[in-house]
Amino acid sequence: MFEFTPTKELLGFIVDRINVGVFIVDKDCKVLLWNQYMANHSYKKQELVYGQDLFTLFPDLPQKWFRKKIASVFMLKSFAFTSWEQRPYLFKFPHNRPITGGVEYMNQDLTLMPVKNDEGEVVAVSITLLDVTDVSVYQTMLKEAMSKLELASQTDGLTGLNNRAHWEKRLLEEYNRVQRYGSTLTLIMLDLDHFKAVNDTHGHLAGDAVLRDVSNKLNETFRESDIAGRYGGEEFGVVLPATDLQGAMIVAERLRQQICAAPIHYDGVDIPVSISVGLSEYNPDADTHEKLIAQADEALYQSKHSGRNKCTSYPFDSSVT
Amino acid sequence: MNDTVVLSNDQTDCLQEIVNVAMGQAGDSLARFLEVFINLSVPRIRLVEAEDLPQTLTEMVGHSGLISAVRQGFYTADDGNGLRGEAIVLFGDTSFKELADILAYEDDLDAQAESELLLDVTNVLNGACLSGIAEQIGTELAFTPPSVLGQHIAAKEVVTKDNLLWMQALLVEINYSLENRSFNCNLMMLMPEDAIEVLKFALDKLLEDFD
Repeated sequence: MFEFTPTKELLGFIVDRINVGVFIVDKDCKVLLWNQYMANHSYKKQELVYGQDLFTLFPDLPQKWFRKKIASVFMLKSFAFTSWEQRPYLFKFPHNRPITGGVEYMNQDLTLMPVKNDEGEVVAVSITLLDVTDVSVYQTMLKEAMSKLELASQTDGLTGLNNRAHWEKRLLEEYNRVQRYGSTLTLIMLDLDHFKAVNDTHGHLAGDAVLRDVSNKLNETFRESDIAGRYGGEEFGVVLPATDLQGAMIVAERLRQQICAAPIHYDGVDIPVSISVGLSEYNPDADTHEKLIAQADEALYQSKHSGRNKCTSYPFDSSVT
Repeated sequence: MNDTVVLSNDQTDCLQEIVNVAMGQAGDSLARFLEVFINLSVPRIRLVEAEDLPQTLTEMVGHSGLISAVRQGFYTADDGNGLRGEAIVLFGDTSFKELADILAYEDDLDAQAESELLLDVTNVLNGACLSGIAEQIGTELAFTPPSVLGQHIAAKEVVTKDNLLWMQALLVEINYSLENRSFNCNLMMLMPEDAIEVLKFALDKLLEDFD
């Protein structure tokens, strides 16, 4: 083995040629060192930047913010950092994924390090710049996958409406909001009439087509702010925020008429469909969101008992059947 | 409790003194940097068991409201000294706008700007306080980039017990608030068992020098 002591020249060479951006600025943000990596990516040769003001060289830099960062290193004699997650880039550098990257500029993590003299005073700031474009691309892919998963976990596969768990969560949120801040909401529960017969007569695929068609009509009828979900097999729920019973009844009645007026075409057959509907507006008796569901359900069954294809609101006169 | 990590009375006194002095210096440089007067509590030093940490966090914050937490690693820059740990800073969900104002943020405070602000403030606080402590025991600290542990969560959710692979850690706790501003936060410096050994060694050396 031979004696090896790295010379200053060698260390200097490494700093210059390392595959990481390294540069040094003084208190006034004048450039004192600019390695090859910085020169290559900024298209600015070393001899042209030495002694120059960083912000004159790069007018796009967020000057006020970056000066404060530099100042913090001088004043607190400590490290400072920037991360791509908050600021994707400082320098508008090209990156090595121009085809597949999907980002405009190289994503960068920067570490600002104090350069001290023998007395321990900070005389300059050394900055290393890491290309984290790959990391950011993977992170973005991961985030997209997560949000798709989240959506999938909230959606009913057949109808595309909110699934029961998510719908109930949204109902609870709206219920809590009304309880805390006032205003009102109305809950509509609806159930397809004689759905079992549709399945038995026309097959389950026809039944699925009916469920999808009714779901489409739900989406067309209600507002963006209303929350529709598939509650059970052929039962649906819709939350109408800031809507009283009267207003909700008008929409529910329109939906009921639309559905029974337009039979569903499936495989050359017209399948007549109708719904029974129950409504309940936020009221003191419904001291939980579950009670509100129970009230609307009660009204729904009153619609069923009194002949189906109708809308009933809670409370109702049960002697009328 | 494992006796080897427990600090002797002399060691505790010495560390308390060091931290007090460091806090004074940190408060001073922070005040100059942020141009606002900083109120610091007297630092509290103790050992915590891993399983008690979530509870300790809740007690430190002193309320069950939502907080944001940022962590940052530190280690000695000198060769092979072995002092290392993590600092966790807890921010109550108060007015971030005020902080943004202090740290010269130009943009509107969206979610990204908010987390950048948390990271920046954490870094500034840690840099000022921990470097001061290190300096007095004759070493210099380097820092890793800070990262967000969680935003708008309960204090007990900051750490998951199962992820703590240590038994006991030394906890130095400092509370900050800014004069005439609603901002306040808690800084906790945590060092695992092997780092405590290093620290005790450094404290003993200091104590010898005093004698």
